[in-house]
Order: sequence, then C-alpha cells, then structure tokens
Amino acid sequence: MSALRPFALACALAALPALAIAASAMKDGHPDLSGYWDLDARIPRDAALMKKIAPDTAVLDDTGPVEFPRGEYGGLKLKPAAKAAAEAWNPKDDLTVAKVCQPPSIIYAMQGPFPIQVDQGRDIIVIRLQYYDMVRIVFTDGRKHLPASAPHTKVGDSIGHWEGDTLVVDTDHLEPSTITNNGLGHTENVHVIERFRLSPDGRTLLSTQEFEDPQTLDNRGARFIAWKKQDGQYIEPYDCDPSFALNYK
Amino acid sequence: MAALAAGLALMAGGAEAHHSFAVFFSSDQDVIPLTGVVKEFHFTNPHGIIKIVVPGNGKPDQDWTLETNSPSILVRRGWNKDIIKVGEVIKIQGWPARDGSNYMRLRDAARADGTPIGTRPAGAP
Repeated sequence: MSALRPFALACALAALPALAIAASAMKDGHPDLSGYWDLDARIPRDAALMKKIAPDTAVLDDTGPVEFPRGEYGGLKLKPAAKAAAEAWNPKDDLTVAKVCQPPSIIYAMQGPFPIQVDQGRDIIVIRLQYYDMVRIVFTDGRKHLPASAPHTKVGDSIGHWEGDTLVVDTDHLEPSTITNNGLGHTENVHVIERFRLSPDGRTLLSTQEFEDPQTLDNRGARFIAWKKQDGQYIEPYDCDPSFALNYK
Repeated sequence: MAALAAGLALMAGGAEAHHSFAVFFSSDQDVIPLTGVVKEFHFTNPHGIIKIVVPGNGKPDQDWTLETNSPSILVRRGWNKDIIKVGEVIKIQGWPARDGSNYMRLRDAARADGTPIGTRPAGAP
C-alpha cells in the first residue's frame, strides 16, 4: 500500500488544475458562461448539441464570414411567398441612410463574425453583441414569455433554463428581419431555441440556434455557432454611421 | 442589378456588417491590386471607407472607393482612425464590386514601401 501512496498523491496533484478550471467555471450551481468570446467558425460541431436538434431541420453552413449567395438557402424550404420576396429583393434597397444601421435580429446577428460578452447572474444572463451594439437579456428566474401584445424587437424576449450543463434559451417577440442576408426574411412569429454549453476546459462556448417560422418555412432551420474565450478583452463599440450608405449612391 | 444577381457562388469574405459580401463583391479569383493617393479615410462602422485616386499614367486618373472590414474588427488588427493619412500613397488588393463600379472590398493594404498596414490583412476572416 505504501508504494501506492506516492502514485495516488501524484494523480491527485495532476488532477488539481482540471479541478480548479471546473470550479472556476461554476456559478450558482451552473457552468459560468461569463466572459469575452470570439466567434470561431473552425470549431467542429458539438455532437451532444447537434443530437438535440429536432428532425426535419436544415443545418445552415453559413456561420461566421461565409454567406450564401443569392438564391441559396442552405436547405431551408421556403414558402412560395417567402421565395417570391427573396427573388424580388434588391440588395441596394437596404443600403440607404435610413436602413443601413438597422440591426438584424439575433437569428442573423449571433452567427456573425463579431465577439460577444456574457455576464451571468443567477436570475438573468446578459449577452452583449459587438455587432450593432445589441444587448440581450435572458431571464432565468422562471418567468414566462411576455404577453402576445408586447412589442417585438430585434433581440426579442428570451427566457432560459438549465438542462444539466446546458443553458436552453427560448426567444420569441422578434421583429421581422433577415435569416441569411440574401433576401430571405423571417416574420414576427419566428420562434428560436438556443442551447449553450462550455467545452470541458471552459475555453470554448458551444451553441446551436434552431428557428421555426411556419409562415416562411416548411421546415426548420439551425446553425452551430461557437466562440473561443479571450481573457482581458472587452467588446468594442459599434456606433454604426449611417452616412456609410452614401457611398453606394 | 442583373450583374449582381448572376452566377454567384458561396464564398468566404471579410467580416460582414449589414450587406452581403457574396451578393456585392466578386470572388477570390477576381482580386485586383491598386496603388493610389488617399483622398479620404473614414473609420466608422459598419465599414470604413478609403477613397483613393489611381494615377492614369497618360489616361484619366481613376477614383476608387475601398470599403474595409468593420472598424470594430480592425482595431484588433492594429488599425485606428489615424492609421491612414490623406495624401499618402497606399498599395492595396481587394475584391471589386460585381456591378463594375470603381468600388471594392479591401483585402489588404500596405504603405508605399510595402510595409503592411495593420497586424493582419484587413479582409481576413
């Protein structure tokens, strides 16, 4: 037995860093997602999260700087009216002083190649997006969604709960906006489910975004989105300048 | 607009703000170099703007407008609002607009002596 003691001690010491990481990544009994996160489109899809995606869902392969060209929707099945609207879309119509600084909804914004900053409390989680200075509040205090008559916004109304190590965020009350930045838009009735979890070392934030909008789509859409943690950094102001649109005249 | 709509392919470009890179700009195979004198430099989101005059060398000079990646991305690549001066000569490469205008998305920029501007190419993903 005495010969095993040094070995056991060495094993315990070797495990300390991992235990320290695990301990520092917990808050109020849940994984702490807080931090500055840089989107990294090279991170492989997380199998555990992908398994949770509902059947008949097209997983879009456009996360990060990649964008679909005109007429490509990544497997989404468009209703005839949505398809006609996408085909009639004139991209230059969006490049006006009145429109160029209007943010997209979180459906497009979350996958953009911009960092996010998460501050996690017990009852709310704040997600700040560098993209268009958007701020999301996810209520985790057990409340229900806002009444149907409440205003719709680009960040919507988000309520969250924990399923094991995964934060599940349910969002509705979104304003109509783009899905793929090429003419396909969602309605105000779109419904989004996001799942967030940390990698075992706490340095990668893994997520999926699922959305359904029966007025627009015959199937559902999803994206895998992941970010790398960067210590000591903060999101920059976006301060969109609408005079940019004048360059397209 | 027909030129914008025709035969587009999935591609990776720089970080996007509002408008679609794939819809507005050409593919990597069509990247072109330019050398010109800076007339204006604006470092605001959603995209910075550099306006240059490219000497015509016997033909009329050409005005070009260069759109940069989002400044809030570029500040992490060593850029700031004073990194490019009016009157200086810069050498750039970029993706030209699909509509044939003298407008492009900046891929990378350098001083007249070839020194890169910024710590990473401006248009890198």
